[in-house]
Amino acid sequence: MSVRLATLIVAVWLTVVAGPARADVTLLFWPGPESNAMQKVIDAFNAGPGKTDGFAVKQLLFSRVGFFDKEMADLAAGSKDFDLCLVTTYTLGRYVPFLAPINAYVSPSARQSYAPVALDSLQANGVLYGVPTDISVHFLYYRTDLIDRLLKDTAWHKEYATLAQAKLGRAMVPKAPADWTWDDFVATSLFFTKTLNHASPVRFGAVLQLKNLIFNVMLWQDTLVADGGNWLDAAGHPAIDSAAAMQAVQTYLTIIQNHATPPGSLNYEFPEANEAFGSGQVATMLQWNAAYAIVNDPKQMPVTAGKVGIAPMPAGPAGHKTHLHSLGIGLNKASEHKDQAGQFLAYLATEPAMQIYAKAGGTPPMPAVLNGLSASHPDFALVGKEAAQDGYVIKGGTATTAMAIYTLLAEKLSAIWGGQVAPNDGLKAAQQGMTTVLKQ
Amino acid sequence: MISRREGWLLITPLAVFLVLWLGFPFLTDLVYSLSQVGFTTLRQPRLSGFGNYAAVLHDPAFWQAMGFSLRYAVVETVAQVAAGLGLAVGLAPILSRYRSLLALILLPLMIAPALNGLMYRLMLNDFVGIIPIYLGMLDLSPNLLGPGWVFWTVAAIDALQNVPFTLLLALAGLQAIPPELREAARVDGASAWQEFRRVLLPLLVPVLAIAGLVRFIDSFRVFDHIYVLTGGGPGDATTGISLYIYKAFFAQQHLGLAVAASMILLLLSLVLLLALMRRSLHGARA
Repeated sequence: MSVRLATLIVAVWLTVVAGPARADVTLLFWPGPESNAMQKVIDAFNAGPGKTDGFAVKQLLFSRVGFFDKEMADLAAGSKDFDLCLVTTYTLGRYVPFLAPINAYVSPSARQSYAPVALDSLQANGVLYGVPTDISVHFLYYRTDLIDRLLKDTAWHKEYATLAQAKLGRAMVPKAPADWTWDDFVATSLFFTKTLNHASPVRFGAVLQLKNLIFNVMLWQDTLVADGGNWLDAAGHPAIDSAAAMQAVQTYLTIIQNHATPPGSLNYEFPEANEAFGSGQVATMLQWNAAYAIVNDPKQMPVTAGKVGIAPMPAGPAGHKTHLHSLGIGLNKASEHKDQAGQFLAYLATEPAMQIYAKAGGTPPMPAVLNGLSASHPDFALVGKEAAQDGYVIKGGTATTAMAIYTLLAEKLSAIWGGQVAPNDGLKAAQQGMTTVLKQ
Repeated sequence: MISRREGWLLITPLAVFLVLWLGFPFLTDLVYSLSQVGFTTLRQPRLSGFGNYAAVLHDPAFWQAMGFSLRYAVVETVAQVAAGLGLAVGLAPILSRYRSLLALILLPLMIAPALNGLMYRLMLNDFVGIIPIYLGMLDLSPNLLGPGWVFWTVAAIDALQNVPFTLLLALAGLQAIPPELREAARVDGASAWQEFRRVLLPLLVPVLAIAGLVRFIDSFRVFDHIYVLTGGGPGDATTGISLYIYKAFFAQQHLGLAVAASMILLLLSLVLLLALMRRSLHGARA
């Protein structure tokens, strides 16, 4: 009897007292390629440093639909069910009150591995709140077969110049996509539009994403910044009704009004644009770097695979510009396992961990890692170059108000694209709305 | 016959459940609607009077959203009740013979509205969508999600999914009408139209009122398929009141304002619901 009692006591002791010593760290993440790649890193950690230190990391996946709203609600409620969570450049401002600073976990030597703009994109007031794991930039995608012919065919040169003269007011000469200005992009889009040029082998010169959606604002604002504009002026006041913004709006409108983008573009987002380009009926596309693996994949897009070229976004007076944002992993302020979670963050911020992540499908903002894999991922070299050279974080893009401003701009720009309001009135309404948001 | 005391005892568990699960959130909402509150101050809302209500009522976007929701709900209610009734009358002889057909007709009701929205995103796609392909064969290429068509497109998608519901209710109503009444009308020389207009329709009014009421409430708070298809756009062309509240709460983080808008919506719904219930019950008694 006494042996049984002793066994029971030991069992209870092991469960109640010894059990909690192994504190698993939970990462709140979203399902998809990022979580698949992250699982490989987690597996490596759990088999190495985690095993040595007696704890493991696991993922808790929320559906991608409305992910950030759910995450925000849980963080605000002080949930202790997760220790680490997905943070992004554009949601960081809202999350900061519920995140713990992680400067201590990312050593100066680890920081040197990152593109500086990637670290900036997850900082607020000089404090780092996330280990960057993925970077997103924009590319100009084009059909290499069409552009190669455009650069060589003299009959096409003549038609190109005539069309540019008629629509844009000056004769233009075709250029290589890497050297395009926004005017070159518009001229090429018009040239490859069947209704304007019956000799075009495709129906549309470009595909724009114009849905009332914050990610489409991010794409448009490359035009804005290249034209010398921004959300805010040097004094921090809204500057969305500037001459640069009007120029950027006109660039898009010229394409829309000439039907150089498919009619459904008004409600297009990432997948629809890829479908349009992959159908073989579109010559160019402004799109996120993640699309390269899709539109160049023979299984998914057999028509375009092997004929996809990528270049920096077209240039304006301020040069080539691409919006840049990072996905990263932040530390929940309410976490009860901060030390262990911090150990995982320190591991995550190393080149070996990010190499595992990149090989499994991620795009870490570490130029050395990206360049090292450029043979198998031709887009990685351009991602690294753009992150280091042309990437920007819009002024106010990491502030608490960022999401509110993106939402406002998405609605106002969408109304302009749909022709419901005049460009001037739309931009004035956006300016007024931004002023109100910033006051609040 | 149970005593009054036993009656109270039986109703107590449900009453406690309702107070806990509905009363507490309602009180919280009431406090939030009268407060300055954000995600950082969820537990310390600062009371600020009726400022949020005033801000909502002075916000043109709120009235635009209310206008959309009202127009949408009226169109949906009329279309779905009329289509449900027409189909019930037309299909009743077939459905009484082949009952399993009804299960097929009801299938759209099993689909989540958000998934329905995703399906139509694909079906309306310019390049791979079946609808533009068929329209193209007829030499038509309307932008069905463009400003000119978007209202009718999202309304049609909703109607296609929910007409089976009104059909079901109308069919049940039809089957409940004693056949002798129809036979008597025919013996008296009534035409098919007169039989429908003078005999069936008056008897179906209570059922149709309930169907209309349910569809009106559901359509007024429409969210899922519109959010997936258009995000409320182009511009704010398809932003209804639910989407307005969602964006105010999560995107703009005006929690107090969003909750105040919800309370106004609740109040309006209650008034409408009471009026319609009174009218339909009165109709049923008459």
